[in-house]
Amino acid sequence: METYRYIPVEFTLNGVKVELEVEAGETSLHAIRDQLSLKGTKEGCGIGECGACTIVVDGKSVNACLMPAAQLQGCEVVTIEGLEHGEDFHPLQQAFMDRHAVQCGFCTPGILMSSLALLKENPYPSHDEIVEEISGNLCRCTGYQQIVTSIEDAAKRLSREKEE
Amino acid sequence: MNTDLEYARPGTLEEALDFLWNHGKETNLLAGGTDVVIDVRSGKLRAKYLVDISRLSDLKGIEIKEEGLVIGAGVTLSEIHDSQIISRFAPSLRKSSFNFASRQIRNTATIGGNVGNASPSADTVPPLIVHETTAVLGNVNGERRVPIDYLFAGPYKSAVRPEEIIVRFILKPAEGKFNDFQKIGRRKSLAIARINMAVLAEKDGEGTFSFIRLALGSSTPTPRRMKDVEDFLMGKRPDRALLIEGGLKMAEKMIEVSGRRPSTVYKEKAVQGLFVRMLYPMVEHERRS
Repeated sequence: METYRYIPVEFTLNGVKVELEVEAGETSLHAIRDQLSLKGTKEGCGIGECGACTIVVDGKSVNACLMPAAQLQGCEVVTIEGLEHGEDFHPLQQAFMDRHAVQCGFCTPGILMSSLALLKENPYPSHDEIVEEISGNLCRCTGYQQIVTSIEDAAKRLSREKEE
Repeated sequence: MNTDLEYARPGTLEEALDFLWNHGKETNLLAGGTDVVIDVRSGKLRAKYLVDISRLSDLKGIEIKEEGLVIGAGVTLSEIHDSQIISRFAPSLRKSSFNFASRQIRNTATIGGNVGNASPSADTVPPLIVHETTAVLGNVNGERRVPIDYLFAGPYKSAVRPEEIIVRFILKPAEGKFNDFQKIGRRKSLAIARINMAVLAEKDGEGTFSFIRLALGSSTPTPRRMKDVEDFLMGKRPDRALLIEGGLKMAEKMIEVSGRRPSTVYKEKAVQGLFVRMLYPMVEHERRS
């Protein structure tokens, strides 16, 4: 079995194929921010407690600071830069703006990624389910009320769109 | 960060075990990464090789078989949380996944990693103990079966040998028995348990304990089965007074094992309280009938 100090990795990032060489101990967060220069994914605590670095890998939310970049091999990765909805803002983004769920904005990308994974898996989450699902994301400015209301709102907007 | 670190992604379990046979002592296994990556970052990780076993299919799967409820070591906490089989045959294990860290961590963290890291506070362990779990450890020459209680050599010291990989766990199913897990942490999510506890119990036709398994974690250097307390409760009818006395015995045993510490003043009461709270439904059931 071969061992590598630098590992070639290939994965899909926001719909685009990327190829990189990563170090054995390098995190996905480092690869995304410093090798691919996508700075939307934030580093807060760096040890999996704050959720600012949340990205979506194969449909599941993960902490990019805890995932070795080598493990991205073959995965579908979505970061905040990949959150789009045709020409418009994604309903999650629109709801966060309309309902003032953003203050300093540092936690926002991570919370949007957690919410994206949540709504894909469960398009009609209850209030309690939302609270539970974003409990791995810390916000120190707004409090969580507006954030939870915005996610509820986005879920409604998305389900209305589906009906149309 | 250790820049000499090397990474390998074995395609099969055999390939991984083969590598460990030659390089086990210089290797750290990588599954979900939620503990390992923190050690890489802090420089605590001494290994030369990181062997990524997160995609090995031999470590996956949740099945009920003749020998028991079989859970692959590579099963994630999210998979445990979502499993109908576990919810039916090991509800306390499922419950231990509810407040396990956060959704992001549950999505990658594995049960094998939780056990292998040997933290005294590992939430999946008290449930595994009350289910009298056997851990199946693979090595080049075959398998070694070890009762879960023997896998913990000390705080963060696993008894899994350098050339071994935890492949799966075999649990005695709980179906029909009273089965619960509870924990106390500083907050609900992402809190490392200060005390965690699991029970598997049954009453006979006369309403007395005919079967009981108790396990305590976090407040002792390694999670452990509380056999003395089980013996004390066996054959007795669960009422309030008995549970209060049982809780006291749990706390006494904890102090016997861990010694008196500054936190004991709190933990002594908390262990007792958690014990009474966890077993109280068995008393109420009695009253109704």
